[in-house]
Amino acid sequence: MSIKEQIKSILQEAEIYRTQGLLNEAMIKYKIAAELIEKNVKIESGQALVDGITKKIELLKETISKYNDPDKTPKMPVEIQNLIKDKFSFSDDKESAVLEGAIALSKFGQFERAITEFSELLKNDSLRLVAAKNIIRCYFATSSVDGALSQYEQWLKSGIFHAGQIEKIRLFLENLLKDKGIERRLPLADITADISKEKVVPEETTFEKPVSESMVDIPEQEEMEEDEFLDINSVGIAITTGSQRRQEVVLDVAFQSGKSVSLIVPGREKILIEKFKVGLKLDDVQFYSPIAILNGSGVISAFTKISSGPKMGSYSLDLKIFT
Amino acid sequence: MAIFNLKNREIECKIVYYGPGRSGKTTNLEYIFKTFKKQVTDQLVTIDTEGDRTLFFDFLPMGLGKIRGCDVRVQLYTVPGQVQYSSTRKLVLKGADGIVFVADSFAIRRDKNMLSLKDLDLNLKECGLNIFKTPLVLQYNKRDMSSSADGSIPIMSVETMQNDLNRQLKAPYFPASALTGEGVGKTLKESLKLTLLNLHKELKWAQK
Repeated sequence: MSIKEQIKSILQEAEIYRTQGLLNEAMIKYKIAAELIEKNVKIESGQALVDGITKKIELLKETISKYNDPDKTPKMPVEIQNLIKDKFSFSDDKESAVLEGAIALSKFGQFERAITEFSELLKNDSLRLVAAKNIIRCYFATSSVDGALSQYEQWLKSGIFHAGQIEKIRLFLENLLKDKGIERRLPLADITADISKEKVVPEETTFEKPVSESMVDIPEQEEMEEDEFLDINSVGIAITTGSQRRQEVVLDVAFQSGKSVSLIVPGREKILIEKFKVGLKLDDVQFYSPIAILNGSGVISAFTKISSGPKMGSYSLDLKIFT
Repeated sequence: MAIFNLKNREIECKIVYYGPGRSGKTTNLEYIFKTFKKQVTDQLVTIDTEGDRTLFFDFLPMGLGKIRGCDVRVQLYTVPGQVQYSSTRKLVLKGADGIVFVADSFAIRRDKNMLSLKDLDLNLKECGLNIFKTPLVLQYNKRDMSSSADGSIPIMSVETMQNDLNRQLKAPYFPASALTGEGVGKTLKESLKLTLLNLHKELKWAQK
């Protein structure tokens, strides 16, 4: 095949890829064609062709960048929003299904409608906190920090949340603000005024409510679930000693990030230190929080000896929690 | 996840068209919508696209009528193929009873096919499903392009595609052209057959 035929064939190929919407592939072919022309065709006659190809490449670049723009989420008609709400909720439980539908709407970028759906769920005590956090997320997703702040203040005044719940929302919101580089102390709830309410609905109810399966599958939700996890003060690990006697060793939590806790294992806990290694699954673990004790399991994700400072000789253990 | 209403003897299942971006998933549904008018029960929902790209999903409900004493309804979905829409793909894939993997026959898309199949495997795992146990049909699309533009477009042979994508899976496969409709019906029928058989194993919905 002559160079001329070769160039013609590559340009044809590029054009077909372009019409097929394979823009990156088209661009690659145009570049190859341009190089071939520059190398093999006389400057005078080839330059016009190269210029034409360069224009095409520029146009393709523009189109690709337009397609890759993540900010462009179209607002869907109500019927399609309803379809999403209906088709992407899988739970048999009606309330969980409503929550899943609302999450799906936010997942598809329909934040305004999602806020409406989540707001409905605020009436439900067991889903109120999850719904509230999702509302805050929706505001952040639409870059409406002011909306989130004004919503928080409105909730603070409305008194629909228990003191514990509003405190969690405050921390959640402050963390999101911090992630955006905004250091802001938000007003606190009047805890004393809410004590009677907290007695009516035990705090555990909020946490005992299982997070629906679909929520775990959604990345944003995974983060939310991490944020929502109880604050753990200490962790009890059941071990079997040499005499086959089971005993529980309670270790203090030095740091917690969602479902990961860092524990300090004192150097004197020889049995533990010998047993522990990265990747080890601990099946019988008690997680002590100020309001509940949870049974669960965990996997050791890091285990290192502390070589300096007041804890020198002890070990730092990172545990990923499964409950 | 199929919905089986025992009382009314109705079964509703979900088939998801998966594959790399621009491989022809939406074109498959468009052809089905045009051609299987009797079975199509509602409009094809194609959610806003940017330059013909599926940003979210397409949705096409079909009614197959009574099969073995059961009213069978099928919902066809497509996923967005572009890599960046991973979370949307996962969401659409959730609850799928059957999968049609639409691969692109263009040689230049060889890697993208394989990556998309890997992505499917991973996402099925996240849904608690095994690609080997999920009713799966492969479609090798754009076969018509082999005769276009004086044959200047390198198209992979079916053997190459089989070797790349189906060596281990050994799933039924169909060369196709979603644009002309060739192989589209066969792909769908095979997928429906496998999906309903699989659901029968699980739910025993069919009457003898």
